[in-house]
Amino acid sequence: MILSKITGVWQKLTWSWRPESNREAGSGIVANFLLHWFPNRISLRSLAFPASFYLGTITFVVFLVLTVTGVILMFLYVPSVERAYWSLKDLDHAVSFGWLLRRLHRISAHLMVALVFLHMFRVFLTGSYKAGEIVKSARPFNWVLGVTLLVLTLLLSFTGYLLPWDQLAFWAITVGTNIAAAVPYVGETIRQFLLGGTIIGQPTLIRFYVLHCALLPLVLFGVAAWHMWRIRKDGGLAIVEQDRQEALAREPQAPKKSKTYSVLGIASGTTVQVNDPTTLNEENSVPSTPFLTVRILLVTLLTVAVSIGLSLVVHAPLEAAANPEVTPNPAKAPWYFLGLQEMVGYSALMGGVIVPTIVILGLMLIPFLDREQKGIGFWFTDGPGRKWGVFGFVYGLVTTCGCLAMALLAPMRSIFPTIESQFFFDLVNPATFLLLLFAGMYFVVLKKTASTRYAAIATFCAFIIAFVILTYTGTALRGPNWDFFWPWQAWPVHPTAL
Amino acid sequence: MRTVASNTIQNETGVSSEAGTDPTRRGFLGRLTAAVAAVGALVAGWPLLRSLVPNVLYEPPKRFRIGAPENFQEGVTFLEEHRLFLFRDSSNYHAVSGICTHLGCTVKFSPFTLPQEETVREFTYRALGEFHCPCHGSRFRGEGTNYAGPAPRPLKCFHLEVSRATGELVVDVATEVSRDFRLVV
Repeated sequence: MILSKITGVWQKLTWSWRPESNREAGSGIVANFLLHWFPNRISLRSLAFPASFYLGTITFVVFLVLTVTGVILMFLYVPSVERAYWSLKDLDHAVSFGWLLRRLHRISAHLMVALVFLHMFRVFLTGSYKAGEIVKSARPFNWVLGVTLLVLTLLLSFTGYLLPWDQLAFWAITVGTNIAAAVPYVGETIRQFLLGGTIIGQPTLIRFYVLHCALLPLVLFGVAAWHMWRIRKDGGLAIVEQDRQEALAREPQAPKKSKTYSVLGIASGTTVQVNDPTTLNEENSVPSTPFLTVRILLVTLLTVAVSIGLSLVVHAPLEAAANPEVTPNPAKAPWYFLGLQEMVGYSALMGGVIVPTIVILGLMLIPFLDREQKGIGFWFTDGPGRKWGVFGFVYGLVTTCGCLAMALLAPMRSIFPTIESQFFFDLVNPATFLLLLFAGMYFVVLKKTASTRYAAIATFCAFIIAFVILTYTGTALRGPNWDFFWPWQAWPVHPTAL
Repeated sequence: MRTVASNTIQNETGVSSEAGTDPTRRGFLGRLTAAVAAVGALVAGWPLLRSLVPNVLYEPPKRFRIGAPENFQEGVTFLEEHRLFLFRDSSNYHAVSGICTHLGCTVKFSPFTLPQEETVREFTYRALGEFHCPCHGSRFRGEGTNYAGPAPRPLKCFHLEVSRATGELVVDVATEVSRDFRLVV
């Protein structure tokens, strides 16, 4: 009796209407969003762990963790210069589980940045940005959406970095926003628009807060939804391209019974004989539910568990309250910008504006520069691809270390002591050399192999290793006054005042 | 009636062959709608964006008193809250900005053991030390000239005067002066 009442209430809440016929019921299923989150069947190749390492899924789960913890943190945080820092102190010492929320939010933010990069590396190295020849898919465009998501993730992380309003936050944002000022002509205007004034203060905090909590998450959510919808529309992971090729080579199969709801009253009866032209069949695929659903749930569970586990171990640092009068020594940007900061140390214009612009544009253009369609979905395409990948890694290692050594041992200003023009040093510095060396390698490999894919692999691998080395240098090897220290060297105790 | 119908068909063919310059009434209305929408978006968007550019800044003043000249010690004093260095050489005063010209960190003064005569860019003066920036390792001579690291310009020097009302030193950080500027009190 009670049970039927509960069921009745439940149906009232969840059903907008009661289907009167089979056709209406069929329409209901077809129109159901949740039932179509995943395709009916999933290729065994896409399901395989090494095809994707589920990096995109993990990234999205981490974003959800950030959203949930972020909303709770919004209740506990006051975006004012007088109180922001003390809300952080309260979170750490006075709010029940405040420390856990903060650590979880912080570690997830770092993980998300790292995961977005790893996801990009995976998609590039498996050639998953290619349209394919059988069904021209929009994967090149989806890659562009992906690069946009990378930029949005970095912006979200950067705007969140200021909110604790401690020394680390204040000076990282000082350095970061001054990089914007290095843009020729309009730089100072951009900086002042970001800051809402000429110095970092209350207007800056509220700007970054609104960007971080409202505008950027909304935009990121929209683009991420588009990104994932496109994966469905493009037929799943790029490795499915191999299934498509096999399907094309197969003998056409005899017509067989197909799913019942696809006819929806167009034809009578519950089954229809169709010639199934689709790529996926009993041999190369499995039903998405349970095979994909369970895997995604497992990945979700593991991601949340690992994030919580990490936040139990990794402390979220909080330095002294922001003090515009005292610059900590050394003052560093967030870790993922330290590779840039290292290059900004050679020239603010080259390292902070030109190189990042070229990198972002270069990344976006990859699918349009490399239009070869072989080996889609395979790591490094094939044997020669692996060879060029290794070559790129080694080349990147040597050139990046070379440019670093040059920056340390023979700074440009000591090579050309008589030149005062800043423009000269903006053009002639190790960051420019690295850029030219990588661009040069692209064209040499292109000429040697006559393959845009191999040239792209070599350049991308060089880019990965350069990113890693420069980030490591900026993070671990730079001490007070941005001087170079080996990991085994202790930093000198530096006089902080006169 | 017949002619009207055939006209319509001809016009519709025109739509597909020359998109963008559609001469029909429908095409014109479409373009008009798009133009009005664009103007409307601009008109609506301008106040939204303009409101985010502040007209009043609640920031510290650019011109401020820093105290009586005789209260400053011989040599260099760092005024933390203003981020500037005040140099005193008996009755000569001058002020050098503590803001690195690279990315805005506060530079540190690294004093020499003994002051030394130095000539930098044809300007001879008695150097007490030099400036080091903690962020990216820029270095500046004692008069402000950048000589190492990424700093693109010398440190700024600010105008100094004596307040007529109180006799205190007044710094004007909105007025830059050349590095040989000295206020004699």
